[in-house]
Amino acid sequence: MKLVVLVKQVPNTTRVKLDPKTGNLIREGLESIVNPDDLHALEAALGIKEETGGTVTALSMGPPQAVDALTQAIGMGADKGILLCDRAFAGADTWATSLTLSRAIRKLGEVDLIICGHQAIDGDTAQIGPQVADWLGLAQATYVKEIEHLTPADPDKPGKPGEIIVKRRLENGVERLACQLPALVTVIKELNQPRYAHMERLITACTDKADILVWNAADIGVNTCDVGLEGSNTHVIKTFTPNFKRQKEILEGSRQEVVAELFDRLKKSDTTLSGKFQGRPS
Amino acid sequence: MKKSDTPVKIRSNVEDMVRKTMKDFVDKEVIPIAREYDEQAKFPDHLFKQLGDMGLFGIRYPRDAGGSGGNTTLYCIAMQELARGLMSLGATVAMQCLMATNGLYLYGTPELHERYLYPALKGEKKGAFQLTEPDAGSDLKAVSTRATRTADGWVINGMKTWATSGPRADFHTVLCQTDPSKGLKGLGFFLVPSDTPGFSFSKPFDLLGTRSSSISEIYFSDCHIPAHHHLGQEGQGLSVLLKILAEIRIMTASLALGLHRAAMDDSVQYCKQRTAFGQPIGNYQLIQAKIANMAVNLEAGQLMVDKVTHLIDNGRSCLNEASMAKYFTVESACAAADEATRIFGGYAYSMEYSVQRYYRDNRFLLYGGGTHEVLQTTIGREILSK
Repeated sequence: MKLVVLVKQVPNTTRVKLDPKTGNLIREGLESIVNPDDLHALEAALGIKEETGGTVTALSMGPPQAVDALTQAIGMGADKGILLCDRAFAGADTWATSLTLSRAIRKLGEVDLIICGHQAIDGDTAQIGPQVADWLGLAQATYVKEIEHLTPADPDKPGKPGEIIVKRRLENGVERLACQLPALVTVIKELNQPRYAHMERLITACTDKADILVWNAADIGVNTCDVGLEGSNTHVIKTFTPNFKRQKEILEGSRQEVVAELFDRLKKSDTTLSGKFQGRPS
Repeated sequence: MKKSDTPVKIRSNVEDMVRKTMKDFVDKEVIPIAREYDEQAKFPDHLFKQLGDMGLFGIRYPRDAGGSGGNTTLYCIAMQELARGLMSLGATVAMQCLMATNGLYLYGTPELHERYLYPALKGEKKGAFQLTEPDAGSDLKAVSTRATRTADGWVINGMKTWATSGPRADFHTVLCQTDPSKGLKGLGFFLVPSDTPGFSFSKPFDLLGTRSSSISEIYFSDCHIPAHHHLGQEGQGLSVLLKILAEIRIMTASLALGLHRAAMDDSVQYCKQRTAFGQPIGNYQLIQAKIANMAVNLEAGQLMVDKVTHLIDNGRSCLNEASMAKYFTVESACAAADEATRIFGGYAYSMEYSVQRYYRDNRFLLYGGGTHEVLQTTIGREILSK
């Protein structure tokens, strides 16, 4: 099977701080990590490779230092890494990012399964996976918590595609879904426990022997006006931490008086709660 | 835009990647369980196995010997991170990567490699390094464990003590005297598997620090071993030891850096949270001075360790530099742990916070790799001899 995993290098958001004046992320001294959900995607791909054979290609878009995400992926067991690195890719929204990634996947030729984390911790959009599937015209299953069954396409039976059966985590339950390969799945952390990089593989991944390619816009055949900031349909105007201030007030009186007063206030206030209070408390 | 005719090569820095991987491992797997395992004096076997699966034990050995193709620099980076999480784990792993396996790697036969070295590098077998005796440590002339030649091998008799992993190891690299009349020239290393008849050990010691590591007295009573279990040529024991002595000392210095880092990280975090007289204690200059001293010594120690590992990796002799680094980093780590207990105040006196563990564990570093009384003597003597 030919598997592709999308990996993103992100700031470790447990330590993220925003500049209160500019609203920009303070990147100085910030540690970069592989997006946690992407590690689950990698683990899933490596597990499939170990069971059915094939290759795992890790694909990332980012600045030169994003190569660290690919090095880690190879350290964990991926066969190959591709870094989409071009100034033209900078400032991309999810539309332009997914276009760029999908063009790179197209360049890779036939792919059986694309696996991605369901969202990145720095953007939290959960749009990239579905959009890549859409650009490539592939079936997709999102929020996958379990890969129940996977049948690769049988080369001796042309015309009979492979199949994947997954369980998706929904808000109120689990959905069991089957789709034909090639397909794209986005995964959540319940799926597995990612392994750590093996030292030998990691050390080799830092040398010229590592199979890591760097592709620019021309390599994947996109116009620079279609990618990066120029190709983006949305633009971030400002990022800020919402300033929530509690406006506390203590109601005084007997229990009945306080509850009645509270109830009246809620009813009069312009909140969604007020519509639900139809009667007085007994 | 042209296609990239000449492929662009972008590669990660291997030292950064090893540190990042080990830091991630320690943050996720070691730190959350460190207190429990220390309190119960229990060794985290599952982590040892996991590190074996990660190829860590072979980090300083070449690939053709079953290693991961790294070097001393990468080994020491890994030890710094492990010691930051749990000194007992760091010390045990350090032993497995270096002293317990190096003689076997250099002088073991292919059969011994197959039986002991490769499984040890995978974490399937545990090794120990038996050098210290009740009356012999830095004074190697006093080693009294005897190896006596027989028709088909050797017989080992004697007693060792203070070896990390001693009672839990599957095999032991044991320093023995083959001919007392030759003194240091009579020393030799021997591989003794734990299943050799005549091998036994005492109840593990109740330790002040590194409580998760397992240390006891080890007894060899007429332990017959085959001839090829003699690691190196007869009388070459001292040179076998000297080959890795600088590395042993810089490994110990690396463990000290890890403990120092842990004490400082905890202190910095605490200084920001704990308030006194209406403000975080980090706002007070005397606390800032403590943090500054910790940071300066940590930085200086890191530079010393980096220099020595670089020299070792380039085949340069640097025993005195390694001794200086060990002496400085361990004293600094002890001071950092002490200052951390002062910053934490009464809470450092509670078993609930890790600083008490750093304060206890740092004592281990004072003795392993040479006492500081001996090191100061050798450093001074070496300088004066020039």
